[in-house]
Amino acid sequence: MTNAQEARSEFLSGAGRILPLAAGAGVYGLAFGLLAAQAGMDGLQVGIMGSAVFAGASQIVAVERFAAGAGALIAIIAGLVLNLRLLLITASIRDIFAGRPFWQIALGAHAATDENWALMMARRASGQKAGYWFLVGSGASLMAVWLIATISGALIAAALPEPRALGMDFAFTAAFIAIARSLWTGRRDLLPWTVSFAVVALSLWSGVFDKSWALILGGVSGAALAGFRRDE
Amino acid sequence: MSEIWLIIAGLAAATFTIRVGGVLIGRRLPSEGVWARALNALPGSLIIALVSVSLLSGGPREWLAALVAMITAMLTRNLPLTMLAGIAAIFLLRQM
Repeated sequence: MTNAQEARSEFLSGAGRILPLAAGAGVYGLAFGLLAAQAGMDGLQVGIMGSAVFAGASQIVAVERFAAGAGALIAIIAGLVLNLRLLLITASIRDIFAGRPFWQIALGAHAATDENWALMMARRASGQKAGYWFLVGSGASLMAVWLIATISGALIAAALPEPRALGMDFAFTAAFIAIARSLWTGRRDLLPWTVSFAVVALSLWSGVFDKSWALILGGVSGAALAGFRRDE
Repeated sequence: MSEIWLIIAGLAAATFTIRVGGVLIGRRLPSEGVWARALNALPGSLIIALVSVSLLSGGPREWLAALVAMITAMLTRNLPLTMLAGIAAIFLLRQM
């Protein structure tokens, strides 16, 4: 296969394989559209926000803060803190950006979300080829679903089922459990993962950190332990 | 509604900077040693942290549903099936 054919096949593979995860995002997208409409946003604003920010949880948090009467700055900061984890996500896949021009780095980085990044890591862990174009393809597919769902939610803004009532709020947790299973390489993962869980638990129970910070502290602590451990 | 546009622009700029910043910071780190081992371990740790935050914010029903999802994941290694099992489990548990 030529490079272009290979890129095309990876793009399509990513675009297809992300669909189960995109369906989960779609349900949240409908809910976000509703919330956004209540906050006074129209379909155009929802569409522009979805394509320019493309980080669902932070969009929900920022618009929720705004609807709750917080100023623009607080809304931005709340969303920004939630998105700090994206720095870790794009740093962890630095290899796929090697030797690429800046526009491709910008495109790939913008396409990276929890869902397609995790799917990509799971594919690689099971020995499949999933590189730069897999990330871009899965990101494009995810963005299409996200835009359709959020704009529909904003336009309909009627009696849509609440995600929680259908158990759909658990969709991401279940997906991340499946992905953790794929990332598990053996007993040496046990200690970093335990540390990650323990730090999240302590951070939340301390009452000092909110969920966004607990998540970042837990992820970094587990990785730091694996880094400093002398086992190779 | 100019405040909405300000939020959209501000959050978009901040998020894009974080994403590209991660790539640039990641590239300047050496490919072996402490940093490399830490970055390799990062995906798993972050996924576990995501699951931990979600479960610790929930209760016994979420924990049981997570157990169902975990067993499904271990038996099938199948993503859509694990999602379906987890959603079905939490839906049924919440009816009780």
